[in-house]
This record gives sequence, C-alpha cells and structure tokens, in this order.
Amino acid sequence: METEKKVGADAQKGYLIVESGPDRPFRILYADQAACDLIGISAEELLGTAAPKPSPSYLDSAPVALDAEHTLWILNSRDSRLRSEAELIRMNQQLEEALSAAEAANQAKSVFLSNMSHDIRTPMNAIAGMTSIALSHIDEKARVQDCLRKIQTASSHLMSLVNDVLDISRIDSGRMSLNDELFSLADLIHDVAVIVRPQAAQKGHVLRLDIGLIREENLCGDSLRLRQILVNIIGNAIKYTPDQGEILVSISQYAAPDPAGEKGERLWLDFVCQDNGLGMSQEFLSRIFLPFERANNSTMSKIEGTGLGMSIVKSLIDRMGGRIEVESQEGAGSRFRVQLPLTPMPQSRSSYERLAGKTVLIAEGMDGRAEKLAACLEGEGILFTRVKSALDAVACLTQAQSEGRMPCALFLGQELEDMPVLNLASHVRQSAGPDFPILLISEADWAQLEYRATRAGVNAFVPCPLFKSRLLDTLAKLTESGREHEDDSVANIADYSRCHVLLVEDNELNQEIALEMLSCNGVHAEVADNGAMALEKFQASPEGYYDLIFMDVQMPVMNGYEATMHIRTLPRADAEKVWIVAMTANAFVEDIRTAREAGMNEHLAKPVSMERLQEILHRQLKETDENHSMEEKG
Amino acid sequence: MQPYQEEYIANLKEISLLSVQRGQDAPCFEAYLEGQRQRRARMEQVVARNMSLLRENLFPLLDRLFEAEAAQLVELEEFAAALFDGRSELDVGLFRQIYRALLSRSRLQKSRNDMIRQLYWLGMGYNCLCTKLMGLESAADGYTSRMRLCFMEAAAYLKYFDEIEDSGTKGYILRSRANVALGQFKSPSEKIQMVKYTLKIMQDKEYQEKAPELPWNRYIYMTHLQMVASLSRSRERAMTPQDIAAVMESVYIVYQQQLAQAQERGERPPARISFSYDSINYYCGLDSLDGLLGRMELLMDRAEDDDYSADGIYAMISLPAFYCNFLQENPEKVPERREYLDSLYRRATDYVERFPQPAENETLFFALRQMTIGFVETGSGLSYGDLLQRLLVRFLPEMYVHSHTVGRTAAAFCRIVLEEEPGFFDDMDSIREITDFRQKEDAVSDYAMKAGLFHDMGKISFPNLYSLTARQWFEEEYELASLHTQIGEDRLSRQPSTRPYAPVALGHHAWYDGSGGYPDSYVRLECPCRQMVDIIGLVDWLDNVTYTTHRYTGMKKTFPEAVQEAIRLGGKRFSPLLTGRLEDPAVERKLAEALEGSRREAYRRLYETFPGRQAPAPR
Repeated sequence: METEKKVGADAQKGYLIVESGPDRPFRILYADQAACDLIGISAEELLGTAAPKPSPSYLDSAPVALDAEHTLWILNSRDSRLRSEAELIRMNQQLEEALSAAEAANQAKSVFLSNMSHDIRTPMNAIAGMTSIALSHIDEKARVQDCLRKIQTASSHLMSLVNDVLDISRIDSGRMSLNDELFSLADLIHDVAVIVRPQAAQKGHVLRLDIGLIREENLCGDSLRLRQILVNIIGNAIKYTPDQGEILVSISQYAAPDPAGEKGERLWLDFVCQDNGLGMSQEFLSRIFLPFERANNSTMSKIEGTGLGMSIVKSLIDRMGGRIEVESQEGAGSRFRVQLPLTPMPQSRSSYERLAGKTVLIAEGMDGRAEKLAACLEGEGILFTRVKSALDAVACLTQAQSEGRMPCALFLGQELEDMPVLNLASHVRQSAGPDFPILLISEADWAQLEYRATRAGVNAFVPCPLFKSRLLDTLAKLTESGREHEDDSVANIADYSRCHVLLVEDNELNQEIALEMLSCNGVHAEVADNGAMALEKFQASPEGYYDLIFMDVQMPVMNGYEATMHIRTLPRADAEKVWIVAMTANAFVEDIRTAREAGMNEHLAKPVSMERLQEILHRQLKETDENHSMEEKG
Repeated sequence: MQPYQEEYIANLKEISLLSVQRGQDAPCFEAYLEGQRQRRARMEQVVARNMSLLRENLFPLLDRLFEAEAAQLVELEEFAAALFDGRSELDVGLFRQIYRALLSRSRLQKSRNDMIRQLYWLGMGYNCLCTKLMGLESAADGYTSRMRLCFMEAAAYLKYFDEIEDSGTKGYILRSRANVALGQFKSPSEKIQMVKYTLKIMQDKEYQEKAPELPWNRYIYMTHLQMVASLSRSRERAMTPQDIAAVMESVYIVYQQQLAQAQERGERPPARISFSYDSINYYCGLDSLDGLLGRMELLMDRAEDDDYSADGIYAMISLPAFYCNFLQENPEKVPERREYLDSLYRRATDYVERFPQPAENETLFFALRQMTIGFVETGSGLSYGDLLQRLLVRFLPEMYVHSHTVGRTAAAFCRIVLEEEPGFFDDMDSIREITDFRQKEDAVSDYAMKAGLFHDMGKISFPNLYSLTARQWFEEEYELASLHTQIGEDRLSRQPSTRPYAPVALGHHAWYDGSGGYPDSYVRLECPCRQMVDIIGLVDWLDNVTYTTHRYTGMKKTFPEAVQEAIRLGGKRFSPLLTGRLEDPAVERKLAEALEGSRREAYRRLYETFPGRQAPAPR
C-alpha cells in the first residue's frame, strides 16, 4: 500500500524506450505523453529522432537496460528523484508488457510474412517447375496437359492468397464498402454448394446442407460478401477436418427485433456450420479473429492458409451488423454460428395457384428427402404420390397412363432403392412420351450430370439444398399452362422457339412423326423432302440461319450424304459449321463413320428415340437459344 | 419369314460352323493354312452378304416402320424369334435392335398387347446381355435396370388382367412379373420379396380362373425355381427368418422331392441337384462352409471322368469352379486344400484334353469360363495363365492367333526400341533393376509376349460377339466389346501369375493423350508400365485393322495404310515415341515380317494340337 501511494503521488515522470546496438541504429521506439511534455516536442518528432541528443539540463535521466538492445529511459525534472525501487519495478513491468504486446503483433506479422512467403513460393515453385517439365516434354501432349492442369491448380491457389491479402488491406484501410442489392438466397446457397461440394468430395467428407425454415428467399444485401463468409467458414471446416469427416451446414431464418430499433422486426439469417474435425484450443479461440493468426500445431501447420480468412469474416459480419459465435474443442470439432440481419423483398406467389390440385409422382428412396419434397408441394395444395423404387414408379406410371390420370410431372430424387435414378428417367421418357415433365432434384453438380441426365430424358434440374421457389417455379414452367409465365431465372429449361431447324426426310409419315417429336420440344422445324431441296433451302437462307439439320440418308433425287457434302463445300461461312445429324436406321458402326466422313456431325438411329433427340436438341440449341436471347435483349 | 430373313438366318448358322476350328484332315501344315485362308475368305463373304441383306431389306423397313403392314410386322417378329428365342441365340444384338424399333411403334400407336409382348422380349434380350456380364456387376447394372424396367412395365398391366382377352398377352404379363426377379440384387431379401409376391399372384385362384388355359402349374414351378436360383449372386448375404422360410418352401418343391424320388429308385441324384440343395442349405445357415465344401468334395470325387454329357461336365468342371469360388472368397481355407485343388485342376484339364471335339461343345466352354472366374492359384499346380492359354487354343483359336501375333510382334518391336534406347522400359521396376542388356532384352521380350497373349482375356466373357457375329457391330455391341478391357484387368489382377499383365489388358485401347479410347479408369501417366501398354496398344491396332476384327468394325486397311494412319495419329492415339520409329522403312518392314511370321507360328501351334500331330499343346 505504501508503495502504491508513492507511485501515485509522482506524476512528473516520463518514459522512453530506446533501441540501439552494434548492428542497430539509435531509435526511440516508445515515448509516453509525460516524456513528450518534459522534453517539449511531439511524439511524432520524438519517434523520428535518429541520433542520441543530450537531454535538456533541467532533466535527470536514469537508463535501465531491458535487454542487450533496448533501454528504458526514465525522465525526471531535476528537483525530483526516484523515490522507491518498487516504483521502478512497477514501471518496468508496465513497459515490458507494452513491449511484449508490440513484439507479439510484430511477430504475428513476421510469421504471416514468413508463412506468406512460403505459401506464395510453394505454388510459384510448382508453376515454375511444371512449366519447365512441360517445355522439356513439349511433344508429349498428355504430359504437357498434365503439367498445365497442375499449373492451373497452383495459380488458382495463388490467386486466392492474393485476394485474401488484398481484402484484409481494404478492410484495414476502411476502403471496403458493402452493396445493397436484391438477391436470391436459393441462388446464393446453390453457388456456395457448387464451390464447397467438390472440395468436400475430394477429402471424402460427408457434407450435409440442410435448409430449415425459410421465410423469404428474396433478400436485399451484399450477396458477394455473404457468399464469401459462408464459403470461408465451410471451407475451413473442410480443410481442418481429417479425411472422411462430417460437416453439417444448416441455414434458416427467424424474425427478431432490429438491433438498431429502426425497422421494428428484421429478418435474420441463421447459419450454422458444424464439423467433427481437429477443433481449436481455448487459447486459440480467443485469438481466432485477429489477423494473421493461425492455430499452431503440427497437423494444422501442414494446411495451407494465410490466417486472414476468419479475420475477414469477422470484419464483414461486423460491418453487416451481425454476429458470429464459435464453439470448439480440440480433437472433437468446431461449430460456427453466424446471424445476419437482412432485408426481405417478398415476391408474388400467384404463379403457383394454378398448380393446386395437380398430382406429382415423387420417386425418392430416402424418407427425409421425400418429406422435404412433399412439404414444398403440400403448402401449395399440390397432390403427390411417393414411391421408393424405380420398379414401383414404372408400375404406377404405366397404370396411370392406362387410366388417363397421368401425374403432371415426375420428381426424380437423389436415389432409389433399386437402381440409379437416370435409368428410370430413361425408361419413363420412352414409356410416358416426349412431353411428360421429368424433374431431377439432386445434390449432384449439374455441370457434371447434365450430359447423362439430358440424354436420359430429364427436362429440368432443381439443385439441392432444396428451395421451394426453385422447385415450384420449375414445375410451373414445365407444366403446360405455365408456359405464358416464363421466367428466365429458372435454369435448365430450354426454349428453342427462336432456333431454326431443318428436317430433311422424304417419307411423309416419318416427317409427321419427327415434326411432332420436335414440336413437343418446342422446335418448329422447316421441312425439305430430299437432299436437293435441303441444299436449295440452305443456299437460299441467310448465313447462320440454320442452327441444326436432321438429314435422312436414303432419299430420292439426292441422298443425305451427297447433300451434306454439297453443303459443306458451299462458299459461305456457315457451310462448315452448321450441325448436321444423320437420321437413318442404318446403325452399323461403319454407317456412323460414313456419315462422319460425308461431313455429318453425328448419327441418330431410326426409329428416333426421344431421349437421343432431346439430348441433341439440348446440346446443340441451348447455346444458340442463349445467343438469340442476348441478341434480342440487345 | 421373308426370303432375306431366311437367308440371313442360314448365313448365321454357316458362320457358326465356320467359327469352329477345323483342319485335322489337312495333309500338311500348308494345306491347313490354305484351309484357314479359305475359311476366313468365306466368312468375309457371308458377312458382306448379311450386311447387304440388312441394308437392302431390314433397314428400309425399320426406316418406315410406322407405315409397315401388319403382315410385315408379323414376319419381323418371326425373324426376331429365329434370332433369339430366350434360349438359343443366333444374333441377340439384331434381336434387340428390332424389338426396340417395334416397341417405339407400339407405344406411339398405343397398342397395348403389342407393347406387353415386345416389352417382355426386349427384357429377355437385355437379360441375355446381363448373363454375359456375370461377375462384372458395375457393367451389368445398367442392362439389369433396363431389363427389369421392361419386365415391370409389362407386369404393371396385371391390373387390367380382366380386360385383356388375349391369353398370350396374359401369359406375357405373368412371365414378365416373374422375370422382374432375374439378375443380381443387393440383398437376397430384395429378390425373395419379389418372388414371393409373384408366387402370391400365380397361386391366386381368381387369376387362374380368369385364364384357365394358361400353364399355371408350370408358372408356379418356375417361380419356385427362381426363388432358389442364384442366391449367391446377391451382394449381401444376410437373410431374415422369413426369407429362409420362403426359400425352404421352394427348396422342398424344387429339390427335396426330386432327391427323395431318386433315393426311392435307388439312383444317385445328379450332382447339379445335390449341389444346389446343399448350397441353399449353406446360404440359409443350415450348414457350415466346411460342411458344404466336404459335400462338394464327395460329389466331385464321385464324378466319372469319361462322362461327357451335360451332367458329366457339371460334375467335372462346374462343381470344381464353384468349389474354388468358395475358396477364393475364403482364402484361409486354401492351405489345407492345396493338394486337393491341384488334383482337381489336373483332373479337369485331363478331362478337357480327352473330351471329344471340345471346341463344339458350348456347355463345356461355359463351364470352363466359370472356372476362370473362381480360379485359385496354389503355386504348385495349374497356373491361371496356363488355363487361359489352353482355353484360347481349344475354344477361341482366332483370338489365340491374334493374341500370339500381338505378343510376338510387340516383343520384336520392343527389341527394336531397346537397341536404340536401353532405358525405354525402365518405368517398370522389374526391368529397371536389370543391368545386363541381354537379360533386360529377354525380360522385356518375355513380358511383351505374355502381355500380348493375355491382353484380350476379357473377351472370354462374350466370345459370340467375336466369333459368331455375322455382320458389323451396332453401337451397343461396340460398347459391350469395350468392356473387355475392364473384365480382363479384373480377372488377370486376381492371380499372381497374371497380375503383372493386368495394366496392359486395361489400357491397350486407351489413347495416348487421353482424348479418346477406353476405359476412363486407365490413366496413362499413372500406369507403372505405360510404355509397354503403348506398344501392345499399337500392335493390337495394327493387327486388328489389317487382319482380325475388321469384320465387325468395318475398318480394313493394308499394312502400309495402317502404318501411315498410325503415324498420323502419333501423339494423339499412339505414343509419338513409337510412331516416330514407324517412319523408318526398316522398322516398318521388320514389323510387317513379325506380324506375318507370328501369325503363321500361331496357326502352326493350332495345327499341332490336332491328334496325331507331333508337337504338344503350347505352354
């Protein structure tokens, strides 16, 4: 107590920390306000002092060595004296703490720089190394391709490191601003899933994305930054969970009072990501949101990262007015919860009303998934029948067809009890006809599935996690009465009405059937009765007019091979490019080759299978349709 | 049938006869060789004729099937029935092609009875494919699904049994319902439930009264037979007490009565019945594996090695194949049975050597194929490689000629490459370790020879596709044929003596730059012997387009044309390191000579296997 009083009584002391040594120039690292006052110059000037100056005569200075290169200078006016040793010790302690805090921050930056230089050098080395291997094997295409693939991976990793550093620098300098724009939560979550699913699959993780209660899918906010937050947290869970782990992500919404008290109730997004990975120590948890911090253990240090991700996440959440909580236990896993206020932008639901009373057949083996599908339908008064196996689905559809009570669509789920879902799609496309809507609702990546699914006769894809609006919009668009309300935002349903297709077929009945099949797919084709007429039509059309030609082979006047060869040699830009499909019952592999040699691009066996026809239309006309749309939009 | 259809069928039968290796009467090797040349020339003629029959008659009909007359459709179905009747198969590929077309037509015209019948037969066509892919589940799954969906769609019309007047259609519905349980299932329960439901329908008096003209007893018996058949083919084994009760009920009807009747007559029941009964007891948990193996040993010991009937083949070849299959799944049981296994294989091979005209016996070949699936190599007896080589020589002589030619020519090519670049094959550990050049050359040549000999082993699963197809392939058949790479790799990698050659079987149709070919599972840069795979792939292609498979693929070239094409495809389909060497006329000449000489050598070996010729069967 005595010492405390003495220390408290003395207010005319100033402190300086000075760095100097054989290899270091003189530098004042620290000066308190009292020292500045006593010397009579500002802290900025004092810290800029490059050489020792004699202290003013009215000052006493007592140097205390802190280590070999640092000294504490205690400044007193001449009439004062150090009054107790305890005071000095106390002062020393305070300064040591200040110094160690400064050193820790400095060290974190040093570690960061060291990590960064390693992290940047590793992909840079890979790029340099693989480039030299590629150059030395330039004639081996496969080897060069392999090198280029690795270079691509390394450069994308390098890019993400640079982006992180730029982000934190923007946040630090206060240059980061948030957008306020309309976005779809369904689209956002789909985008996140597309990014994180392959990463999880690569490590053999089970990644579950559960959608809870969603009050409003159309929201206002900065979707780009929101996506960054979610991808960062899920990405960390994937990275820091040993292979074959489990990551559960749930997304829901709730209403709660606006924290600012301005808008009454606000809609909050509640995002939880839980893993069974490495977890974090309590000590690290206290530092997790500091920039440049990474957990320090042997397993984690092998995982690449800048240590900036969580700091960026925290800063973004703070700026959005949200909160983040972390629970973790070393060796058991971590749980991150993010709550963010967002502004709802409600959408009209009238487009679903006409679906009420219709029946859908749900083919899904897993109860949980089927229930979610059913819940989306029930809310809108849409009826459903559910089967778990492909065989039951076929029995159900065959009988429904016989009795003239076909459901309005088939919802194909993720899996069936007896066979892959696309096998069922393929059969149903044949048995139920070309205009029966088949929707695939799956967690799989559509880009990877598209070719097989379209070929199997699937009309549309609804990605999981499942959002009601996506499912019902797609269903509405696919069912006939909904076609007047087409919505470009619904993906994967083709409209070929702007495409130009030429059907070359001499047989009237075959013409009729092919035209019917094409029109079921929204294609209004022009007809030529033989190869010569097809050639005339093509010559008379403006360049780029025809997007696709279906060409019979055996025809009077001029056969399909000849017609194709003539078209290909015409002096116009589209002569080589126009996609020509041989349509013939001649199905030997040699016939397919002959068709190719004549200049045809592919072969469609007769009688024409709807699934193959749809696959060709989808593949060849989708892009054209998009181009036409863009042209129209100007 | 139309005359062209009858001619096509007759041609198929002729191809079947021509495919059997003959020539034992030839006075000398040169005469034998001439006979082979004439045989091949005749086969090419028949194939060309069949192609033109289809192009001029069938394809135009399919092209305008929607306006075909009723009589034409009836004839078309008759033609299809002659191609495949559910048992004997002359051309199942064309059969499926026809039924797919007919079904499309019936669907469009909403012709219910036609649809039901055509769904049934298309299902049968797929079933035929599934049985060929037995043991390769991943490849068979797609076809199994298609088969079941066809049968199920036809079976769904059971609901309208009353409305349907035609009893034939009713029969198709019931048979389709039963056939939904064909093929492999995930678990026995899945299949048993399905068969139980079928039995319930078949035994339902109401249905029976609605169509008393149908052979209900036969349907019921066949359904019981289905209940007890292929239980081992489920991927999981666990059965519930209810499953076991259902199976044992059928066992009583199908087997137990037959066994008791044989006993009453004082006869020994056929080995097939006894084994089926014993194995079901084992699967149902009523016997241990040791118990079952012991019973099988009794049956095999009792088999008569001069019985060349179907029962004799079953006891001498099929039973040992199943026995080995059990041991393959339970390797801990092998050591104590090593000697017994060796003696089993010895007996089986001696039996085949003595078999009168074995090449003409499909049952024998089928049983031997079963033996290749469940083979157990002991190290002291017959090796897997030996068995495969014997099969090739006896039953697939054309494939033997091709494989031997590829192996020998590849070995010659390897020697050419090694002379210029001794470290060329050092990507293989076993070769890199050899420092002496001559030893290295011998080791590489030996490897190339064996790799060539075994590279097409997967084709054993569907020999008819190669030897009996009397026309070019359809796309579906081409896809099926492409599975031989995966099947070959799967089979070869299971046995120590053939394991080193498995990557060659897998990768010899893959393209050098990965942009084409098959299968996708072969990644060239990860293959431990990719240079060798490249060589076998190139030589295999050269032999195929100049001699072996152009009949089915329609791609025929002279050797110089093939070399030019290979050079053009260097860096894409073929290794540029190899095609670069083909540009040297001396190398081209050497390879041409190697192909010709090796082929002749292969034919000589075949010739020497005929009784009375001096040299023994090749080893």
